[in-house]
Amino acid sequence: MLRLALKSVRHNPKRLILTVVAVALGVSLVTATMTFTSALSRGFTDLFGDIYATVDVVIEEEPAESEDEGFSPTDAAGLFTEEDVAAVQAIDGVEDAAGAVRYEMGALLGLDGEPLRPGPPTLLYNWTGVEGIDRATVIDGRAPEAPGEVAVDIDTYADLEASPGDVVGIATETGVYDLEVVGSVRFGENNELQTAKLMYATDDTVREVAGGITGYSGIEIVAEDGADLDAIVSDAGEVIPEGTRAISAQDKAAEQVEELNEALDIIDIFALVFGLVALFVGAYIIVNTFRIIVTQRTREFGLLRAIGAQGKQIRSTILIEAIVVALVGATVGILLGWGLAVAGGALVEVFSGDILGPLIVPVRALVWSYALGALVTIVAALLPAIHASQISPMEALREAGTSGKKSLGVRNVVGGALALLGIAAVVAGLELKVAGPAYWVGAGAVLIVLGTTLLAAQVLIPLAHGLRGVLAAIGGVNGKLAANNIRREPRRSANSAAALMIGVMLLALVATFTESVKDTFTSQFATNKAELFILAQMGPVPQGAIDVVADTEGVRDVMRYAGIDATVDGTSTTVGMVDAALADAVFDFNVDRPLAEIDGGTFIDPSVVEAGVEVGDEIAFESATGSVTVPVTGLYLNEGDQQYLLDWEQGEQLSDDPFIFQVLIDFDDDVDVDATTQAIEDNLSEDFPLVQVQSPSELEQFFNQVLTILLGVISGLLSAALLIAILGVANTLLLSVTERTREIGLLRAVGVTRKAVWGMITLESVVMALFGTILGIVLGVGLGVALVQALSDFGFERAVVPWVWIGVYTVLSMIAGVVAAIWPAWRASRLDILKAIAADG
Amino acid sequence: MTTTAAPALAATMRDGYKDYGYGEAAVRALDGINVDIARSEFTAIMGPSGSGKSTLLHTLAGLDRLTAGSSTIGDTVITQLSEAQITQVRRDYIGFIFQAFNLIPSLNARENITLPIDIAGGDVDEEWFDEIIGILGLGDRLTHLPAELSGGQQQRVAVARALVSRPDIIFADEPSGNLDSRSGAELLAFMQRAVKEFKQTIVMVTHDPTAASYSDRILFLEDGKIVDEMREPTADRVLDRMKQMGH
Repeated sequence: MLRLALKSVRHNPKRLILTVVAVALGVSLVTATMTFTSALSRGFTDLFGDIYATVDVVIEEEPAESEDEGFSPTDAAGLFTEEDVAAVQAIDGVEDAAGAVRYEMGALLGLDGEPLRPGPPTLLYNWTGVEGIDRATVIDGRAPEAPGEVAVDIDTYADLEASPGDVVGIATETGVYDLEVVGSVRFGENNELQTAKLMYATDDTVREVAGGITGYSGIEIVAEDGADLDAIVSDAGEVIPEGTRAISAQDKAAEQVEELNEALDIIDIFALVFGLVALFVGAYIIVNTFRIIVTQRTREFGLLRAIGAQGKQIRSTILIEAIVVALVGATVGILLGWGLAVAGGALVEVFSGDILGPLIVPVRALVWSYALGALVTIVAALLPAIHASQISPMEALREAGTSGKKSLGVRNVVGGALALLGIAAVVAGLELKVAGPAYWVGAGAVLIVLGTTLLAAQVLIPLAHGLRGVLAAIGGVNGKLAANNIRREPRRSANSAAALMIGVMLLALVATFTESVKDTFTSQFATNKAELFILAQMGPVPQGAIDVVADTEGVRDVMRYAGIDATVDGTSTTVGMVDAALADAVFDFNVDRPLAEIDGGTFIDPSVVEAGVEVGDEIAFESATGSVTVPVTGLYLNEGDQQYLLDWEQGEQLSDDPFIFQVLIDFDDDVDVDATTQAIEDNLSEDFPLVQVQSPSELEQFFNQVLTILLGVISGLLSAALLIAILGVANTLLLSVTERTREIGLLRAVGVTRKAVWGMITLESVVMALFGTILGIVLGVGLGVALVQALSDFGFERAVVPWVWIGVYTVLSMIAGVVAAIWPAWRASRLDILKAIAADG
Repeated sequence: MTTTAAPALAATMRDGYKDYGYGEAAVRALDGINVDIARSEFTAIMGPSGSGKSTLLHTLAGLDRLTAGSSTIGDTVITQLSEAQITQVRRDYIGFIFQAFNLIPSLNARENITLPIDIAGGDVDEEWFDEIIGILGLGDRLTHLPAELSGGQQQRVAVARALVSRPDIIFADEPSGNLDSRSGAELLAFMQRAVKEFKQTIVMVTHDPTAASYSDRILFLEDGKIVDEMREPTADRVLDRMKQMGH
């Protein structure tokens, strides 16, 4: 049986080509991403290795238990004192211990005052003079010795085109600090910084730039040769302050690699999801291909059964063919994916420099690729294989092409049930308070897709019947024949259309969602009265910059919007603080009464209301540095922002350094908006070059761009699935052309021109593509609208149907239909008439 | 479709050669054929298998091309036409009846019959259509799909399709080959009647002497050459002649 299966593959490679391509495309996405992330991981693993190569033990702040405390670790006075460093130095086996103070939030300004290579971080470290701890070697000039001096890593030094004596600026939250370049240093052996900019200054200079801290943020230890590191770690644990820890450098590096890999795993999962979508679409093609192969070989299988083969053996033959296809497809896909990763890597090097390790396909990519490819192919081939195993020996004796038509009854019942179940699951996920709503919606969507696929066959029959008239009017007898062909094998046509439907559905879903988000933004900006915005970028918006803006002539009000971490009844929560008196004038907050009526109280969001809190109740807030108790005075109606809103004054009692993430600027009436904006920009450029003001239209444009990019990225990731779906249409047509050889030969004999045959196949293709696209749009927009409705608490005002995209997708699907028909139509129009009509063909 | 000033001959071939393959492996299927097909005549082509009779039919009908020589349909020399032009000639001037698979499975009997006219975009002559259907006894079968018709009925639908556009010439390739003797006799009688009553020109390839005896004239083919011709044949005379050829 194995030999038979292999021979069958070898003798009919053409009919399996597109199946192989479908598997390969899906797999390539997975391999490419995994290869890429593993190269990224390798690149950073090397960096972490370099960082901790010369240090033996690190003492640092105890890592926070929850991830969301993302504020700068340097905002305290400093974790360690000189005494702590001395105590550590005294530990047995410690050769050198040095306090570290670091600032990683600034931006290096070039000699022209403009930020240099924005994007990768600027790292400002203290120079200890201890070689193992500094990890850097002086190349040009000298190390920093006096306050205000800085040494720069050699690559940045070259980029700056600086020479000793030049002054560069480092922009921070509090202003710009000028530093004198005294030399260049090489980090580790090769200055492999993954494009970060590294600078060294004296302890006090770093402290000043970091906002005036006094101590050290860490202590680093170089041990004596042969010293017991574990002993040093445990000894250090005895002498260091509470809330800090000692860890060996090796463990620390491993910890950081692990953290990075966790982040990269998410990217891998993302790729797996899209790869699965592509393979899911591919499965439709595989089902169709194997079903057609089984039909074509009915007599062969009948003969095998007649001479004594068991049904089980026939089934194995088909499944072995499927496995061969999967192996070949996955192998091609892995190569393709590796190629994509190499191309992507080259692109990344152009834009971001040398941050990747070697691009090698990792073992897990091989495992996933073969496993997914084989799983999808075998599952898809299973039904056709079972069908083949049930062929009776009598089929061998029967005339070809007389197989009875099976009713669609079972298919319809199962399809209807699946679709209803799916809708129920989506409704449950969106409307009822079930656990893990995303899983409900996802599972529901898959069920709806499967159900629709099954039902589509039934829809196609009357549709093709109705279309007969239309198509006959467009294409004459060709149109009529095209409609007949679609109707003749409704299962096959429906599967091809459904494969396209899935891709289009996801596109339409994302389009509906992004268009609705855009609409929400647009309508919010439409009601906003502020002339300018400042949004937090790297860190919070500095208060100094806000003061500069407020002092500019023509500015009436500046409203700040900040976030603080606080707890209510011991549960951590998010608290927003605003200049409430100014708020209503500049922004249309979604509140039940003007924010000016906050009256020293707090506004609560729907989730707090749901928890049973009412207007008039007292809320006690606690934070690390203070506490305040205020009454509830109103409702903030958006869910998902902050649970509580406070006025600035009450907020300050919880935090003297709130994270200001948004600033709205209101101008005086009758001022020249452009001139005032220009004045603000000029004033800011002096001390706060990193702070950007944006007009509402700029901001709106920016958001729209972000959303468009998001839509573009998702469309790009879906392109593999869409490509497979188009291949599916081509594949179905190709196989059906083979099946209809004699019919087409007859048509050619009685005078149908090649062009007309081409037209007939193209019409079939376009109708199938359009059918799938329309189903996909209906489902996608439907799910998108449902999703937006369900999220209305989060500020979505209404669902927007993306008509423009619908138009674009429809036109594209028609083009895709024409393109998909090229190969099959070419084959059909080039048929050898004599062979086609040969009596015993 | 019928030309008014019709030439006396419906189809001709001059010095027709047809080779398959190249060099050493070349097989000569037609070896210098000269033939005239008269109008309103029922011509049969006979010969042992491998004699080239099907090749002669295919090249005369423009389904296949001659290696050398020329052939005409009416007054059109088809050997110098492009593929698209030959397709047009087939559509407008030729009808076909094959041994099997004459019908498009997804079209009903009526649609199959009018297929050539639909392809050409012309109007069906309903009177003529009804007359043919009446003669062939298909009146109550018009809405049936091919799969719902018997073999004899299917071939009669094929004959009706060949006749409906009043082609200059009909080519039939073993039209009764797949039928039982009674259905076959009926079908051949219809074809004979079409020639006698409607002045239709038919060329038929067959190896069955009985079938050939329905024709007006038989051409005998052997090794790609026309070796004999017989007029007003009977089944017995044909059988005798075939025996002479050693079959």
